[in-house]
Amino acid sequence: MSNILLNVEDLSMHYSTRAGEVSAVDNVSFSLKKGEAMGLVGESGCGKTSIATTLLRLMPDNALVKGGHVYLDDTDLLSLREEEMRQVRWKRISMVFQAAMNALNPVYKVGEQIIEALETHHMFATNEEARQRIVELFTLVDLDPKMLDQYPHEYSGGMRQRAVIAMSLACHPDLIIADEPTTALDVIVQDNLLREMMALQKKLGMSMIYISHDIAVIAEVSDRIGVMYAGRLVELATSEHIFKRPLHPYTYGLMSAFPSIIGPKRELTTLPGEPPDLIKPPPGCRFHPRCPFATEICTKEVPEFTDMGGGHFVACYHPVEVS
Amino acid sequence: MAELSTPTSTPVAAVLETPLWQVRLRLLLRGIKTNVGLFAENPIGLVGLGIIFLFFILMVAHPIMMKTVWDPNIYNPVTGYDPALVAHPSPPSATHLLGTDPLGRDVLSQLMWSTRAAFSLGIIAALVTVFIATTVGAVSAYFGGLVDTLFMRLADLIIMTPTITILIVLAALLDLGTIHLAVIIGMLSGFGGATIIIKSQALTIKVRTYIEAARVAGGGNAHIILRHIIPNLMPLSFLYMMFSVTSAIAIEAVLSFFGLLNIRMSWGLMIYTTSFAGYLMDLKKWWLIFPASISITMLCAAFYLVGRALDEVVNPRLRKR
Amino acid sequence: MPADMMVKEPLVKVEGLSKLYPLTTGIFREARSFIHAVDGVNFSIPDGESLGLVGESGSGKTTTGKLLVRLVDPTAGQIQVRINGSGTDIAHLKGRGLKTFRRHVQMIFQDPYESLNPRRTVFDTVSEPLAVQGIGDVVERERQVAELLALVGITPPDTFMFRYPHELSGGQRQRVAIARALIVLPSFIVADEPTSMLDVSIRTGIMNLMQDLAEKMGVTYLYITHDLAVARYMTNRLAVMYLGKIVEMGGTEEILQHPLHPYTRALLSAVPVPDPTLKREPPDIKGSIAKAIDPMPRCRFYDRCPMAAKVCEDNDHPPLEEKGPGHWVACYRV
Repeated sequence: MSNILLNVEDLSMHYSTRAGEVSAVDNVSFSLKKGEAMGLVGESGCGKTSIATTLLRLMPDNALVKGGHVYLDDTDLLSLREEEMRQVRWKRISMVFQAAMNALNPVYKVGEQIIEALETHHMFATNEEARQRIVELFTLVDLDPKMLDQYPHEYSGGMRQRAVIAMSLACHPDLIIADEPTTALDVIVQDNLLREMMALQKKLGMSMIYISHDIAVIAEVSDRIGVMYAGRLVELATSEHIFKRPLHPYTYGLMSAFPSIIGPKRELTTLPGEPPDLIKPPPGCRFHPRCPFATEICTKEVPEFTDMGGGHFVACYHPVEVS
Repeated sequence: MAELSTPTSTPVAAVLETPLWQVRLRLLLRGIKTNVGLFAENPIGLVGLGIIFLFFILMVAHPIMMKTVWDPNIYNPVTGYDPALVAHPSPPSATHLLGTDPLGRDVLSQLMWSTRAAFSLGIIAALVTVFIATTVGAVSAYFGGLVDTLFMRLADLIIMTPTITILIVLAALLDLGTIHLAVIIGMLSGFGGATIIIKSQALTIKVRTYIEAARVAGGGNAHIILRHIIPNLMPLSFLYMMFSVTSAIAIEAVLSFFGLLNIRMSWGLMIYTTSFAGYLMDLKKWWLIFPASISITMLCAAFYLVGRALDEVVNPRLRKR
Repeated sequence: MPADMMVKEPLVKVEGLSKLYPLTTGIFREARSFIHAVDGVNFSIPDGESLGLVGESGSGKTTTGKLLVRLVDPTAGQIQVRINGSGTDIAHLKGRGLKTFRRHVQMIFQDPYESLNPRRTVFDTVSEPLAVQGIGDVVERERQVAELLALVGITPPDTFMFRYPHELSGGQRQRVAIARALIVLPSFIVADEPTSMLDVSIRTGIMNLMQDLAEKMGVTYLYITHDLAVARYMTNRLAVMYLGKIVEMGGTEEILQHPLHPYTRALLSAVPVPDPTLKREPPDIKGSIAKAIDPMPRCRFYDRCPMAAKVCEDNDHPPLEEKGPGHWVACYRV
């Protein structure tokens, strides 16, 4: 029996706007094993959040899936009808949105909101059952169940984030997608929350996709990391390889641009230029205008996402050679 | 003080060949073009604008007609009289396309002439409203405290009292012409509801980071209010202007209908004349009531529609993606 | 020996700086409770130095920054800034004095999207300090703006001068904000997390720019950040704040390599490191951050400290003491 939970093949998604069609996700492919934690890292506009919303089919109205498949076990999620997709959401794949803690309605008690959300998904027969489940969940995320009767403003940022994580766990999903789960939190609270998420993941045997722009956070929580740039997946490898042996010039540049408090103080390199306009993206490799190694073929042909050995994928004609 | 130790390189110094005012003009025109484009996407705005344009043509056509085709003695909207016809009011005919009123005056001529009164009333009232509401709203929001409390209680007072009542009393006591009326309506609107809405918008602007930045740059209260807060209020104020025109025209019609105003001719006055002569309920003499009342409704509606379309330009969240 | 070759007073010297916010419940009732946002802070910044102020939310670092530019008025304390050769207490300046002071101290804000007025062009924004201070005429201002835009990397200046903020990227907007801060040639700039809202690849560009400009223009910085890694690169001295107090202060590398205060230690151990092979121990700290409302007369860190002892509870918050060369710590147990 395969231990691949999710298989994304050539996923492409565009947004149609007044100014034109934005190619937000372009031919992205990756697979996720059961119980694996994968990190998706990239800067704003790279498409990582768009992938997340596409996987759950929660895209905004002006989004169009242009192609590809998202196989959960053997079903292509993109081919399901909305009613069928509803069976998948929350129950098999659930999501913790960016700034989810601000998604709690301030005029209702937290417990009430969560119970309502669970009931909407017909997950429990009675109110009592739902409440019991939530108490369990709160305990799981280290929140005092008494907090269920409080209002969101009485929670701290970290506590709200935990409440939202608790909600996402309600139906024992196989996969949780966490989009910038700790971005707005202080560093000590962040550390605490990340440790808990990792522990929960191991304990419940779930797969996770962590999305963040913070390389350091991704380094700590992910088994494998996918680097995104301008809507494309440019590199995919184990965390160790991404950090110790980055092959794509963008990954390499990103690593060198990140200051760190450990190790010797080194010069920070800058990546010249800016991320491209996705309405008229550069032809060929989308990174070529900023790439120090770009040659003519980079400006004409899109590099294939190839396995360079040991499951380390890169889409580049001139991968970096690090001795 | 810090020092700029790098020498000024020539390409930078010789940068600005076009004078500043030209650049600003170009920017302004570009801004107008974008906004017009956005406005034009909305059919209701265009309908409203079309109607306003029609009335504008009527207004402009009147003096032309008076100088060329129409005999001033017969067609003057206030003093004209057609002796050729026996009974006044007379129904529409070849010489009088909308007939004549009980005093023998051509109805079409009256209609066209009154358009001017309607426009000037509406626009003056709107300008006064906007000026007052913007200033008062900005100042109340910025300074808060006693000033704010005073103006807000004044606004409450005005909202509580029915405008019509105030105006009827004023009209009875004073001799109100178009301009006076426009200014009074403008003041009532300006110090009333409009100011509360603009003030709440000003409150959101006041706490923006760029206001802090302006303060750090050395900007005093006047600078911040005039250069930062009010320009950001202008779109909303402009929007309000459209709605003020509507209410001004409607109020004038009502007051004229009660014969309280000192205006020589207006749509409201046309209806008043009809009523005074006892023909108000007489549907057979439809030309006495309908042209005037339809004009009032249509012009008001037109400004309202323009206002709604402007709302989408001003408030980006209302736009379709 | 000329006067200016002797040891100068520090550019900025802060003593006993406090900002208390009242918690009121009614218009006529007197405030009984106060939030001690900044509580008796002392530090000084010599010329050309970059002091980093680090802490989590509620530490008081942002409020301290705002106090130094007088966006907020202090409740108590002195802020001495050396203007034209002699120190002036700017804490209570008003009117013209305040306006003059603003030529010497400027601020760069955190959010490049919010710190620029969307209805004003780049030229309007960058020339605003000049216009408000009445420096130069329009032509002269245009020239200065163009010069500064080129300096911060917005080139060619004439293309960008009359653009609106929404036509610029985040990095470009922050460069415009930097140009605005520099145009009056201030001697001191408070930078409030200027790169935290920018993408990583853009961040380094801005950081390098700020360092270059510091050298070229002889500007002294107070760099406020929650990100210790960024502080490492941008500052040569660091002050760690907790609940309105400075708990540790010293050379940046020194503090990062040899942190003495338990809070600093916890903070450092909580920072995620971009090395998946490194196993990081959880920070040694309990509880969660509280609000500094009417704090009890004991060490502010008492209820979270792994080393808390009776001496910490019985006495008021420890004063800063020099425990190593240039390394100050506020702790009874170190």
